[in-house]
Amino acid sequence: MSKHDNHVLLIEDNPGDADLVRLRLVEARPGLEVACVNRLSDGLESLVQEPPSVVLLDLNLPDSRGAETFRRVLSKAPGVPVVVLSGQDDEDLALKAVHQGVQDYLVKGAFDSKQLGRAMRYAMERQALLTSLDMSRKQQLQFKDQFLSHVSHELRTPLTSIHQFTTILLDGLSGPVSSEQRDHLQTILRSANQLHSMINDLLDATRAESGRTHIEPRCIVIGEVVRNAVSMLQATAKEKRIGLEMAVDARLPLVYADPERVLQVLINLVHNAIKFTPPDGSVMVRVCLVQHDPEFAYISVTDTGRGISTEAKPLVFERMYQDPATVDDSRKGLGLGLYIARELVHLHGGRIWVESQLGHGSVFTFTLPLFSLTKLLTPIITSQGRMREAVSLVTIDLAPRMDPAIGNWRDMRETCLQILRQCVLPDKDVVLPPLGNSGSGEIFQIVVSADQAGAAILVQRIRQQLEKHPELQAAANVSISVRPVVLPSPESGDSLVKLVQETADRITEMSVAAMERKATFDNLNLPADGHN
Amino acid sequence: MDKPKILIVDDDPDLRRALNLRLRANHFDTAYATDGFSAISMAQKERPDLIILDVGLPAGDGFVVLDRLQQNAALSCIPVIVLTARDPQATRDKIMRAGAIAYFQKPADNSELMHTIRTVLSPAWPGTVAAS
Repeated sequence: MSKHDNHVLLIEDNPGDADLVRLRLVEARPGLEVACVNRLSDGLESLVQEPPSVVLLDLNLPDSRGAETFRRVLSKAPGVPVVVLSGQDDEDLALKAVHQGVQDYLVKGAFDSKQLGRAMRYAMERQALLTSLDMSRKQQLQFKDQFLSHVSHELRTPLTSIHQFTTILLDGLSGPVSSEQRDHLQTILRSANQLHSMINDLLDATRAESGRTHIEPRCIVIGEVVRNAVSMLQATAKEKRIGLEMAVDARLPLVYADPERVLQVLINLVHNAIKFTPPDGSVMVRVCLVQHDPEFAYISVTDTGRGISTEAKPLVFERMYQDPATVDDSRKGLGLGLYIARELVHLHGGRIWVESQLGHGSVFTFTLPLFSLTKLLTPIITSQGRMREAVSLVTIDLAPRMDPAIGNWRDMRETCLQILRQCVLPDKDVVLPPLGNSGSGEIFQIVVSADQAGAAILVQRIRQQLEKHPELQAAANVSISVRPVVLPSPESGDSLVKLVQETADRITEMSVAAMERKATFDNLNLPADGHN
Repeated sequence: MDKPKILIVDDDPDLRRALNLRLRANHFDTAYATDGFSAISMAQKERPDLIILDVGLPAGDGFVVLDRLQQNAALSCIPVIVLTARDPQATRDKIMRAGAIAYFQKPADNSELMHTIRTVLSPAWPGTVAAS
């Protein structure tokens, strides 16, 4: 910092005010380097190119006024101390700026060189303190991350041993097992599995805290995910004589979300519902659309359990929160399930909340965004308020060479998706979110705002990248095709929104046709495989 | 006629014993190595049809083993399934790029693991044709 310790950026459009500040600056600290700009855009540019030791900022500039001005400066250079130069009548605004991260303010015409020097020095000191606090916080988080990931690794090894030998005994690999022994072994296995999921929760919670949770959203049929979750927990519910049911409208549109993460959220919620519902109660999972919030699907889990008190309601999503009423339960768990659920839902851009009354059960609801092709396509197939001249659809068909049911097909899919995303040009091409689980293999599609010749260049780029991944080539046959999208005529006089909608419909038709072709092809191939 | 042979590479004796038991019960022949160095010499000596490989190993970790296997023309075609306690989010991509064909985190689901082993060893899988 010492090198730039005396570099001041003054953003002020009034020449008289600017001169006065310069004068005060020279009085306060001779030898200061002062750069003065009179527009915010120039100021932001200079902030990035040559970060100053302090910014003196007038809030009302020709290209930005009021709160907008300091917000943009703070977001452009979060680590640079800012002192606002405020007019006499807008001290309130200056105070607001301080609340939002500006270090200090001075009222124009009411400060002398001493006050200016002091304000600048304090701003720099405070900013340096903040920065070092922030760094040590990050270091601590990182240390905790490393510690937990090390611990979880070490815990897994003995856990694996317990899991392996229990299943060896259960599977009768070392001799017959009596039914009583089987019962005991199953208890061991259940506990081992519990321990396993706790370790996973611990890692998930740490990741969420340090913002390292990743989601891979795709177009999914939410009903399928709900069905999965319900069938996975049906046995647990039955054991407690709890009716577990689902109600899903089959006509629901596609949801844009990561199916594994949504499954995780659902399992958390349904598992909790079963846990807190007494025998002979019921748990119901519903998915529906809500008129006043048309861009989201609403997924709710209703139970007939003991409910949550008004005081506890705002706390249930917090880390490690345990309902005091459950202290008598022998197995409370870590209290991370709802926290992780909330973080995952937020990452999808959804909301999660609970409605409950003590003694009358609870309803946990979360929302997930519906998929909208037109929203995705608008920035790609239109430019400056007009439809682009040509649009093509590139289809990449990934056919597995081995059974895709085995563990790592998902990795192949993600690798391929990543390659495609790297190859496309932002604002000109877009990789469509893959559709759910498409039977065997996978079809990826890219909407390209170019004619077929233009799209061929993209295809070449993709092929070059694919060649760098021999593991992908070994696991799958990749075929790529290009088709032009017939665009609606702009002379029809239709609005741009309608033209985009029509194009989106055509692309959907083409996508569905490609999926169907693939399905037919796969079916044709099946009997041949059977005879081999 | 011959049972397929699987080389187990893991420094944890309990895991080796457990895998050995399960694989033999599923009609596979087994061999084992306890570190990265002996993994390569065992692979050369035994010419297994498949290797189950841990990542954290003494004397050359799983990455080193994968690298050595790739560099050896005779061994590069042996499919490798990685079975490790390491976090897939941090390791899976790197392992797959290093040449493994599957990644399982411990404790792994037995039926999924066996299914993958059978698929990889089945004649329909392209890698094994070259290996035989």
